[in-house]
Parts: sequence; C-alpha cells; structure tokens
Amino acid sequence: MITRKKIHWGQVVPLTILTTVAILVIAPYIWMLLTTFKSTPEIRQNPGKILPINWTLSGYHYVLTESPFLRWFINSVIVSVTVTVAVVFTSTLVGFVFSKYQFRFKKVLFWFILATMMVPYQITMIPQFLIIVELNLYDSLWALIVPALVSAFGVYLCRSFCDDIPDSLCEAAIIDGAGPFRIYWTVILPLLKPCIGALSIFIFLEVWNEYLKPLIMLSQVNKMTLPLALSYFSTARIHDIGSIMSASSLIMLPATILLLVFQKQFIKGVAMTGMK
Amino acid sequence: MKNNRFVLMVLTPIIVLFMTFMILPIGGAFVISLFDYNPVRSQNPFIGFANFTKLLNDRIFVKSLTNTLTFVFVTVALNIAITLTLAFLITMLRSNKLRSLFRVLFFMPCIAPLVASATVWRGLYAVDYGLINNILRGVFHVPAINWIGTPAFVLPAIVIFTLWADMGYNIILFSAGMDGIPTDFYEAAELDGAGHIKRFFTITLPLMGRTFSFVLAMTLISHFQMFAQFQVLATKGGPNQSANVLTYYIYKTAFQSRDMGYASAISVVLFLLIMVFTAIQQRINRVDWGY
Repeated sequence: MITRKKIHWGQVVPLTILTTVAILVIAPYIWMLLTTFKSTPEIRQNPGKILPINWTLSGYHYVLTESPFLRWFINSVIVSVTVTVAVVFTSTLVGFVFSKYQFRFKKVLFWFILATMMVPYQITMIPQFLIIVELNLYDSLWALIVPALVSAFGVYLCRSFCDDIPDSLCEAAIIDGAGPFRIYWTVILPLLKPCIGALSIFIFLEVWNEYLKPLIMLSQVNKMTLPLALSYFSTARIHDIGSIMSASSLIMLPATILLLVFQKQFIKGVAMTGMK
Repeated sequence: MKNNRFVLMVLTPIIVLFMTFMILPIGGAFVISLFDYNPVRSQNPFIGFANFTKLLNDRIFVKSLTNTLTFVFVTVALNIAITLTLAFLITMLRSNKLRSLFRVLFFMPCIAPLVASATVWRGLYAVDYGLINNILRGVFHVPAINWIGTPAFVLPAIVIFTLWADMGYNIILFSAGMDGIPTDFYEAAELDGAGHIKRFFTITLPLMGRTFSFVLAMTLISHFQMFAQFQVLATKGGPNQSANVLTYYIYKTAFQSRDMGYASAISVVLFLLIMVFTAIQQRINRVDWGY
C-alpha cells in the first residue's frame, strides 16, 4: 500500500523496474495455472483467450486418476527425506571431526573432499551407473539414495560453521566427562542449527528436483521420482496439453508453497551458503 | 583435540562411500575413456587415445562444443549483468517488506524442478497456443515464431528460459553481499554528491569482490552442466543439432547408443573445460583485500 507520506522519487524508478521484472517472472506461473483449468481442445481452439471459457478440472483429474501420481510423489518424498536426513547427519559429524580433531592426513583428506565439488556429474555418472548395476541397486530408489549419503558441500559448510565454535566449549565438555558423541550431540549440534537449516533446504531441493540421476538409474514407471515421471508423462501424452500443465503445476506447487511459507529461512539459507 | 578411535570410526564409512561413489568413478571415467567400452558387449578393447582423436572429426561433437560455449558465455554474462542490477535496485528500496517480497518472487523459479518449468515453457513457446507468440501476434502484430523448431531460435529460447529459471540465486547472493557493505561508505559518497549509478560502480562493485568471484565461479560451473532444459526444449538436440550441448551428447552416447567409452571421452573434455574456465576466472578475479 502506498502511504500518504510524500512520494520518494528515488524509489519510483527502482520500484517500476523491479515490478516489471516481477511480472515477467510470475507470468509463466499464471499462464500455467490458468491453462490447467482449460480443456485441451479449448486450449487449441482459443489460443488468444487468457482466461478459461469453461472452467474444468479434467487435466488434474486425468493426472491423479490415470497415472500413478501418488506413487511418484511418495517415491520423491522417500528419496528426498532420507537423503536430507542422512546428509545433515554425515555432514555435521564429519564437519565436526575435521574442525575439532587433529589426525594424520587431515589436510589431504579434506582437500580431496573439496576437490570433488568441482567435478561435474557428467564425469562420474557413467562409472557410477556401472557400480550401481554391479551392486544390484539399478532400478531401485536405493540407486538415488546410497551415492548421495555424503555431500562434499555439506561437509565443507558444516566444517566452516564448526570453526566458529570456540574449542573451549568442547574442552569444557571433556572435563565434565563427555565422550566425543556426547560433545557432538549436546554441544555442537545445537550450535549448528542455522547451518543445519540452510543445508537441509539446499539438499532437499537438490534431490527433489534431480532429473539426470533418476533418468539413468531408473526404468520402471512405478519407481520414478516426480521430475522423471513428468518427462515420461509429457512424452506419453504429448498432445494433451491440459494434463501436462496440470501435472507440471502439481509438481511445482509443493516446493513453491514451502518457499512462500518459510521465505525468511529460505532466503537466509541461500545467502548463508554464499557467504561461507 | 585428539581421539584417533573416534576419528577412525566416523571417517571410515564416509571414506568408503566417498571412494565408491566419487573417487572411483572419477578415475573410472578417465580409464573408460581409453577403451572402446560398451557394457552389453563381452569384448571391450583398450584403444588408447582413439576416442579423443575421433572427437576432432565428429561434426556433432564440434557443434555441441560450440553450442555449449555459446550458451554458457551468453547466459552467464546476461545473468550476472541482470542479477547485479536487480540486486542493486532491491537494496535501493527503503521498505524491508518490499525488499524481501522481490527477493522471494525472483527466487520462485529456482525451486521448481527444471524439467517441470521447462515443460511449462515449451507451452509458452508453442506456435499456436503459446503465450509468447500470442503476445507477439496480438500486441506487436509480429507473425508467430516457431521458437523450438527453428535452428536460429532454439538456443536463444533456452537462454531466455535459463535466465528466468536461475536468476533468483544470484540476486539473493548479490544482495546479501551488498547488505554486508557498511552504510557509512554510501553516506560518505552521498555527501560527496555521488549519484546511485556512481555509487554502484565506485563502492558496491569493488567491495563485492569476494561475493562476485564466488557467484561467477558457481554460475559458470552450474551452467556448463545444465541438461534438463536441453532435453525438454530441444528434442534430440534440436533441428540440425542447433541446440545440442555436451551434456546432452554425453547422455545420448552413453545411455542410448551405449557407447560408454566415447561418452567418457566427451565427459573428460567437459571436465577439462570447466577446470580451465574456473581457473582462468579465479585468476582474473583474484581478490586479496577486504574491508
């Protein structure tokens, strides 16, 4: 709302530009949502009409009843939640060890982990696929989970956060008779909360949106995660635009709603990953 | 602190996982690239660097390589220019609410799976019912463009999509960097009579050195690896291979033609490209001072 205070002309220019760009950014969402309420013949026959003439839910109905959408959704949830929890655990624990303990080969080992962050997935994907086949994990959700249990980025992020925790806190805990796991659980983890929040968001989104990995690791329709399933669905129903847009919006909406609800945490989390 | 038993207990499983799914595959890729390797065949002979010499005469490889470089440079340059400007405009706003509103709005496309948003954009680009062509026809009276079916337009269409999909991250990183600059610098400049644009070039940009270098490196690395939008928006490399890129060519060669030796050789090239460009970028943007 524009307040009755005098207008700051210095604000008008940035506001106008930002609003214009914001409209361009949102337009695809609006178009997608409106298209989902049209029938496919209507989309084709009335291309100029933005609003639906006959509002219909037939697209959503088709996706939810004629495709194993719920199965795909559950697959995505299983993989994303498992990987996120595992990565938070391994990253904080390993980050703690690298930050607070002295041991041989520490520098080399850490450098090795960091260096792998630079490696594109395209280089590891072929051998990884062969290893997954060899381990009999091909075409199962484990193929997406097991290789993702450790994240170099997570270790790096958690270590730099652990570095900010004073050593004296750990030493005090040792004097009180705490073992290493106890120090990790009662001293380190509570202090890493902001880091854990950022890391969880980051990893969850990465896994939830992953496409190339499922594409090469899965083949059965029932095993697919959402992004792969959408690509499969839109190829199978290539001319049914109404259903394709409905499926796309069903896939895009959950994360978008999460973002709008937890916007502060999201924005802070992203900014944090860039600062460390 | 020292506790070798604990360290060993924690690191052993981690190192095993890391060896199996990262280090071994990285080495594996280089080794496989020296073989004529097809997993469904029983004979996979060692052929030295033959895969690499074959690349030089492969028309599709050369085309994918130039497409990749064009895509990365154009998109990253536009991305950085646009996101820096938008981040600066956001920091100019006085209202905290508006600032966070714009940040969230611009970030929205970043959290959508690229496959899904690219599928939506395939609809936006459609010749008959797509929004973009409708605006061209209805508002600008320009004939519809077959964005995805015309060799000259596929890559630009993908660049526009990628900018839309990926701007949000950098806007947030840049505006966090700008928020970190002490306000007294700006106040001093304002007293000296420097306008917004002058302040941007003399204070914001130089003092953002670290953020800028980090963002540029991350953006470069991620854009070299983009895949989903090429598969969705340019079916099978696009008309005349006009939108074939290395990532798509690697996928197709490895998992459709099952020619994994050759695909590994291409992936090694992609890897070296990323290494070289990030090294150059780090050299140029070397920042060894702070504030």
